[in-house]
Amino acid sequence: MKGKALALGLLLTAAPLFAHHGGTSLYDISKQITVDATVTEYVWTNPHVEIGLDAKDEKGNVKHWLLEASSPPVMVSRGWNRKSLQVGDPIKVTFNPAQRGAGVGRLIKLIKANGEELGRTLAQ
Amino acid sequence: MRNRSCWSPLWLLGILGSISGCSAKTAGKPVSQAPDLSGIWQGVAIQSLSPSDPMAKKPGAEGDIPYTPWGLAQMKAARPVYGPNASLEKTTDPALKYADPDGYPRASIHPMRFKIVQTPDSVYQFWEYNKSWREISLNRPHSEVPDLTWFGESVGKWEGDTLVVDSVGFNASTWLDPIGHPHTEDLHITERIRRTDPETLVFNFTFDDPKAYTKPWDGHLTFKLKTDGVMTETIYTISDELSFRQRFLNEKPPIPIRPGL
Repeated sequence: MKGKALALGLLLTAAPLFAHHGGTSLYDISKQITVDATVTEYVWTNPHVEIGLDAKDEKGNVKHWLLEASSPPVMVSRGWNRKSLQVGDPIKVTFNPAQRGAGVGRLIKLIKANGEELGRTLAQ
Repeated sequence: MRNRSCWSPLWLLGILGSISGCSAKTAGKPVSQAPDLSGIWQGVAIQSLSPSDPMAKKPGAEGDIPYTPWGLAQMKAARPVYGPNASLEKTTDPALKYADPDGYPRASIHPMRFKIVQTPDSVYQFWEYNKSWREISLNRPHSEVPDLTWFGESVGKWEGDTLVVDSVGFNASTWLDPIGHPHTEDLHITERIRRTDPETLVFNFTFDDPKAYTKPWDGHLTFKLKTDGVMTETIYTISDELSFRQRFLNEKPPIPIRPGL
């Protein structure tokens, strides 16, 4: 359902997550949010790759999210590279939101418009 | 004194497999007769060196780490970014807060790869994270007064199929692992490194540090062989850390950061 945000709030089984920065101190790993969105930036950087996106909520309001992915070597090992995304790409993305909101999150899963699912960046 | 002119590690990286030209000048066991630890290795992601609590569910109360009162106080005061005491905003993790080197053995706990390169005189570990490296000098004693360094001074010898390594001379700035196990400049690490099967490398550690721990305690790390030949570059700087904090925590950088971030 493109253009609409789906807040799923699914409880997750505790998994051996290993992110350099965003662990439970920053993200609510008990929640997942899945949105259809448009990529606004894709920054292949240390310590972790960053993905900016705009997504519409149920009322049609655009909300901007900044997602933390894994480090570039881990991303490469999961099939990503620095050209995997382009600004303007439509995507469906699932992430853990930050504990305190703030429009940031941690990437779990990303599917491109052609159906290609880029590898999960967390050890789950 | 080791023949560094012949066995520069940078030189070695380019000519592996053609080392015989220097062997006549070097002491130690020929590589061909030593157990082969060489290769690219990657570990399993853990947070703690406590064998009973590798995912750091109960730091400070693991039951298998004999803290002194000072060591326990350090552990309780630590604010890593994992576990029950986690705080990214108030972290005391020196590898994050200051973008300091991980040091040893924490460098091997990072979920990235390292390469082992062997020569008759030394065994080298090259970590892709921050392009750091460690030399284990074979068949020689420690320096009379080892310098205090991030990775310590390591000497080793072969005992059958096991490389036994003795390390001292660590500065006290690092944590032993991501959850914050402390140490002092008196840290003494004994390692037994063994390839338990063609694809598995096991490091068994004994940590001895009387100020932090009432008696020596053991930990271990296990690594799997990676055969794709890939070693990446991940260099993490204070600008990277401050940029991350600016973008994800809305913190204003206290110093100028690298343009373009």
